[in-house]
Amino acid sequence: MPSSGIPSKAKAIPTAVSDFTVLPITLPEAKLPAQFASVQHYLYIKPHEPSNPTPSSDRSLFISNVPIDAGESNIRSLFAEQLGGSRVESVEFDSAIPAEPSHKKFKVDRSDSGDARGKKRKRDEDIVAEGVVEDEYSALPKIWTSELRRSGGCAVVVFVDRASMKGAFKEVQRAVKTGKEIKWIQGEGLGIERYKSHHALRYPSKAVLQASVNAYLSQFTRTETARNRLRAKQRSVPDEDGFITVTRGGRTGPARLEQAEAKQKELEERKKANGPKGDFYRFQTREKRKEAEGELRRKFELDKKRVEEMKARRGKIRPES
Amino acid sequence: MASPSSKRRKLQHSESDDARDLAGLPRRSGKGVPTRKDNGELCDMRDGDLSVDEDVSSEAGSSKAEEEMTDSEKAAPGSNTSFANNVEQKKQPVKRPATESAESVYTAEVYRSNMFKLQVDELLDQIRPNYGKKEVESAMRALKEHIEQIPSRPPLPFYEAQKALKGEGITVPFPQPLPPADVKYKLQYDRPANINATGSYPLKIAIRTDDCAVIDMVVTMPRTIFQDKDYLNHRYFYKRAFYLACVAAGLRSSARNKYKLSFDLMHGNQLQPVLLVKPSGDGSSADFTKSKCWIRIILALPENAFPQTRLLPTSSCIRLHPHSDSSEDNDRLTSSPATPFYNATIQADASVTQYLKLLHVTTAKVETFRDACMLGRVWLKQRGFGSQLFRGGFGNFEWSIIVALLLQPTSGTGAFRLSSGYSSYQLFKATLQFIARHNLTKTPFLLSSNNVSNPKGDSTPLLFDGSRNLNILYKMTKWAYYQLQHEAKTTVDMLSDPIADHFESTFITKTNILEYRFDAFIEIPLYAIAPDTDNNEQHAALIDGCSKVYDLLQRALTDRVSLISFSIPTTSDWSVKATRPSLDKERNVLVSLAIDPSNAYRSVDHGPPAEDKKAAASFRQFWGEKAELRRFKDGSILESVVWPVSNNSSILEQIIRHVLDRHLNPQAGTKATFTSDPLAHLLPSGSVQGQSNLSAFSSRMNALAALEKDIRGLEGLPLQVRTISAADPLLRYSDVDMDVKHIPASMVLQFEGSAQWPDDLCAIQRTKIAFLLKLADLLDAHGNGESARLGLENPSHPDLNQGFLDIFVPPGFTFRLRIYHDREATLLGRQLKDKLLDSPSREAAAAALSIYKHDYIHVPAHTQMLQKLCTRFPALSPSIRMTKRWFAAHLLSPHFAPELIELLVVRTFLQHHPWPVPACATVGFLRTLMFISRWDWRHVPLIVDFSAGTSEPIGMSDNLQARTFTTEDVEQIQTRFEAWRRIDPAMNRVALFAATNLDSEGTTWTDKSKPEKVVAARMTALAKAATSSTRAQEEKLLAGVTGKQARVDAGIESTPDHLFAPELRDYDVVIHLSSKYSTKGKRKQTATFKNLQLQQGDMGAKELQNIGFDPVHLFTNDLKEIYGNTVIWFWDPHALNVICGLFNPTVAGQRAWKVKADWNSLPSTTNNAKSDGANLTDGNGTSIDVNKGAIYNEIRRLGGEMIRSIEIKA
Repeated sequence: MPSSGIPSKAKAIPTAVSDFTVLPITLPEAKLPAQFASVQHYLYIKPHEPSNPTPSSDRSLFISNVPIDAGESNIRSLFAEQLGGSRVESVEFDSAIPAEPSHKKFKVDRSDSGDARGKKRKRDEDIVAEGVVEDEYSALPKIWTSELRRSGGCAVVVFVDRASMKGAFKEVQRAVKTGKEIKWIQGEGLGIERYKSHHALRYPSKAVLQASVNAYLSQFTRTETARNRLRAKQRSVPDEDGFITVTRGGRTGPARLEQAEAKQKELEERKKANGPKGDFYRFQTREKRKEAEGELRRKFELDKKRVEEMKARRGKIRPES
Repeated sequence: MASPSSKRRKLQHSESDDARDLAGLPRRSGKGVPTRKDNGELCDMRDGDLSVDEDVSSEAGSSKAEEEMTDSEKAAPGSNTSFANNVEQKKQPVKRPATESAESVYTAEVYRSNMFKLQVDELLDQIRPNYGKKEVESAMRALKEHIEQIPSRPPLPFYEAQKALKGEGITVPFPQPLPPADVKYKLQYDRPANINATGSYPLKIAIRTDDCAVIDMVVTMPRTIFQDKDYLNHRYFYKRAFYLACVAAGLRSSARNKYKLSFDLMHGNQLQPVLLVKPSGDGSSADFTKSKCWIRIILALPENAFPQTRLLPTSSCIRLHPHSDSSEDNDRLTSSPATPFYNATIQADASVTQYLKLLHVTTAKVETFRDACMLGRVWLKQRGFGSQLFRGGFGNFEWSIIVALLLQPTSGTGAFRLSSGYSSYQLFKATLQFIARHNLTKTPFLLSSNNVSNPKGDSTPLLFDGSRNLNILYKMTKWAYYQLQHEAKTTVDMLSDPIADHFESTFITKTNILEYRFDAFIEIPLYAIAPDTDNNEQHAALIDGCSKVYDLLQRALTDRVSLISFSIPTTSDWSVKATRPSLDKERNVLVSLAIDPSNAYRSVDHGPPAEDKKAAASFRQFWGEKAELRRFKDGSILESVVWPVSNNSSILEQIIRHVLDRHLNPQAGTKATFTSDPLAHLLPSGSVQGQSNLSAFSSRMNALAALEKDIRGLEGLPLQVRTISAADPLLRYSDVDMDVKHIPASMVLQFEGSAQWPDDLCAIQRTKIAFLLKLADLLDAHGNGESARLGLENPSHPDLNQGFLDIFVPPGFTFRLRIYHDREATLLGRQLKDKLLDSPSREAAAAALSIYKHDYIHVPAHTQMLQKLCTRFPALSPSIRMTKRWFAAHLLSPHFAPELIELLVVRTFLQHHPWPVPACATVGFLRTLMFISRWDWRHVPLIVDFSAGTSEPIGMSDNLQARTFTTEDVEQIQTRFEAWRRIDPAMNRVALFAATNLDSEGTTWTDKSKPEKVVAARMTALAKAATSSTRAQEEKLLAGVTGKQARVDAGIESTPDHLFAPELRDYDVVIHLSSKYSTKGKRKQTATFKNLQLQQGDMGAKELQNIGFDPVHLFTNDLKEIYGNTVIWFWDPHALNVICGLFNPTVAGQRAWKVKADWNSLPSTTNNAKSDGANLTDGNGTSIDVNKGAIYNEIRRLGGEMIRSIEIKA
């Protein structure tokens, strides 16, 4: 594997690749063996062009391969202090360690996104499949001071306006051309402090926890009512084939999912119990016997195959010495 | 033949048919061997009693025969039995299951299972030697001619005859004691009466071996050279030795330089020298090097040369007054001790041809006999038994004879002990059963004779063949016989196992590897056992000495040991010019002990009561100053011996040294080297043995019990507590470190069911926190010294458990409590099936469900099971800890669930065949490694049967029922395993597969590449290295016995500790952690103050704060999250001194540029697109590689002061 890891001088670092500009940044010095005393990190930058444009996408830059300690603050200061002073509104990362809490969601049904019911639907979409989307009172206290990024992750930097974005991108291209040294500012809270603070945050005071749990549960009660409404609706709306989906909840509905399944099973059981027993007719015993014989034969063939495979894998069957 | 409708073969031959058949067979089989003269004889000796109508005889014999087969054999697995019935219903004749072709679907009936039968067939094919070796056959023919042409020597006085041979360059290989100076009789040589090939080669029951095969050629001496009284006082043996020397001399003169001649001992019996003919290797026409055979010339005595009654085991043939030859003296000389061994040796010489005939007849009559012999041979070989005295005196010959004799009708009823209709496997198993069942040292087994017994005080096993007047087991020593019986019993048990097929452990596994078989070793120097050995009698003195040591150890150790075995030095063949070399006195006798762990560490031995004067005296005499009179709690006053428990020598060692010193030789005890459990010192308090090694964990277990009581006693909990279960290695005796205070031990609490819980996963988690807060308040207020704090976890997954309670219990233990709510499973299952959810959510539900099952169901059930097993097997807990230590030392443990490692060790204990259950940690550990090294995990699942070896039901907690395994269960697991391999053939998600009775899923401990395939492969490689070093260790142990220098491999070091030395050179990056954060330094610190801490019973506030704080663990978690599968990280969670990384070559390598490479990349323009190949660059010639420098920089900055330095592979 030709992966020496050392940026060999023979290979030129390209200034651009595809429609990305390659921006080398110098990492802060760390105590490393001599050949890695000064190393560079490479950012791939281009204007953000998502396939589904969002209101902010035309004033954003897309950066790939962000360092693991990239955060909103050091990206902001990177542009503010070293790349033309453009003002960053916000930074969105594709990954976070620890990851953001994820809630289970209902399928977004695209077929009936009609305008008429648009407003009502929007409210329903806020209802996640379980629990609630916490607000600041109901969320549990954070237990990490800072987030890390997955290696080779990307970020979208949203600038205050389109002009600042363009200015920043130009500045990037200029820096690449002139070979200006861009220094990376280390993220906050690395090293042992990260873990010490985590350990401290991990055990919040009982009062804080109690308050958070109380807030959550009352929020949950509210949401549950909304959710039940949604379910009730699903219960009564036939799909395109005219069937009404059997869902959970509500005694007024057609059926509970579990009950329907249980009934089904019971019915099958009864069918089985009332039918003729297996050894009633002569042909049944005969067939059974045949089946058993076939089964034996099948098993034998299977075993034979297994032994063959074993031989192929392990070579000949011989006593060990 | 395979079809079920095949007619039963009629066996009611007419006599002439029978004779023709039988006469035909030897001729056929003897085709290749030209020296056969006895074909005629063989058919001559056929008589009517062999043509017994088989139908009748099998009816008559079947009752007996079926007794020999166990019930389990008859009640074959369900499907087979039912099929058998079907056959009967159809009135089809019962098929004769002999050498049916492999196509038969009915083999399972007579061969355990199809798999077993197919494997046996394959094995037999592989071990069958190539019989058509022209070179040997012509060499044997030539040898025969040479011997026939040797001229007779007229009778000459004893010493003159000897001198004459000396002149020809031959030293007569006289046995010891050497002939006295005043011998009056004469020695002469006459043409042999008969020369014949014998042994397994012409019978075609030999098996292929790695070294040279030995083909026996028997030369029957003429009767004329012997006198009637020659059986007395070694006269026969002196004449025999002279005869052999004459053959040697004749071959030397007539066939000069065609062969290499040397003397050897037949079966190591110094009375029976034989002549070994080796190929010259010069490539001449007489050279038979290519055939890889040696020819051994054995001398035989014509039948009935001496009166049979004089050679019974009870007769005495060595007279104390060697000059009184007359038999009239016999009555006066009854005081002469009986000489069973001597007598039997003469008989053995006299019956060579008879046994050859017996075997011939049997091979002809019973088709499966040959295969049964070969199976027996393999079995014996793998267990280290052989006909040689030093290998136990039970070998291939004895095996074949026993099978052949058991196939003979009994003299009284004519019933057969073994039916000739048995398959080879049935013959094999029934013979093992015969060996296992009869204790031949106590009750002799007599065939066609009565009133034969051993002389008084002799405990040689007695299996007397009356028709040939020989005790077939005359060469067996006591210990070898017990060992044989033991092995036979084990194998019979194995073969009766209804589930596993044990083919491997019966025939393939080499069983006599000392390190796996025995727990303790004593090396006693030869001179201590047989001190006054001048060359004379050395042999006998050695055997007697060993016998004495055996008796001593047996009496001293009683039930502390289950088996004692001896490895005795032996001589090899020697030149015909020289006298027999004597043994080097610097060699050792190696005594191997298999200990019984439940008794071995007992500190008091009870003797007889003081009133029993005679027994008490003998007890005192035996133990000497160690014996003391003690009064016990129950009021009895007994003689007893008390052994102090000391750190530097175990009780066993003390006993052995004391006894050897006292009874063998004042120096013997000190000179002997004692080894037992050589790796135990590597574990914290590992040298504490026996039941008490669980005691180190007991303080924590007691604390847990106290805590459970307190929690149950709390008033004011909103719900009743239903169960509290332990879920941590620390609470199942299987953590390497037992007194780690800073690590909380997990447990799980379940409340009684209630409808008050919210019906939503996330809300349940918050409700749990509310419960825990309440519990913490109550515990704090309880005033029993416990204090609790609530911690948070899983911030990214609101549907998983969010809070846990760390409870500090006074003596300094911490428990981490989580709440188990069984509704969660239903909710997750519902989400899994809910079609309204989007697919990421459903995947998340699946992941959450498996975590839920792992944490709340499988881990507690596993913990409970392990607790049980650890109390059942005293050596299990230290073996698990040692194995975990090994995984950790090689930086592998982060990749293996602790439960998986535990299962691997548990398998060693429950599926321990072909050995007994390990009795000490080292054996358990080494055998586990051996299993790992042989485990073909790509194709074979690990199946641990918790129900193995116990009859009691293994009902577990109510949430999970473990049932006894059935064949169907195993098959089901197998199917599931195969399904996994089909879904994921690259083994990206599941590499290892481990199922138990508690968990038939098989992926609970190994899902989500835990370990990854590469890591699993590394485990196998390391285990293989360890296994071969174990074999080297065994060689070293035996070096003192064999006298050979042990093979020294460059990579293998001498100390056993090297098994635990990690190899850091293989890793791309090695992060050395600062000593402040590695536990190595820390442990030492706490060790110094352990007592103080225990006395204080309380910890400072700061220390409490730091409980559960493991920055390195958090750091490694971050590394794993950040680099995903780009880098694989390895570290030792016990030492925490280094973290090693390996770039995954399949993920991180040079490739064409890509926006999201998932790793930190370094772009480069490659002008020469050709050299990199098209796929390595994009259209513009830009490729990316891992930016290792930047990665190391990131790591260094992330680790901060935890990292001392980073070492990078050049």
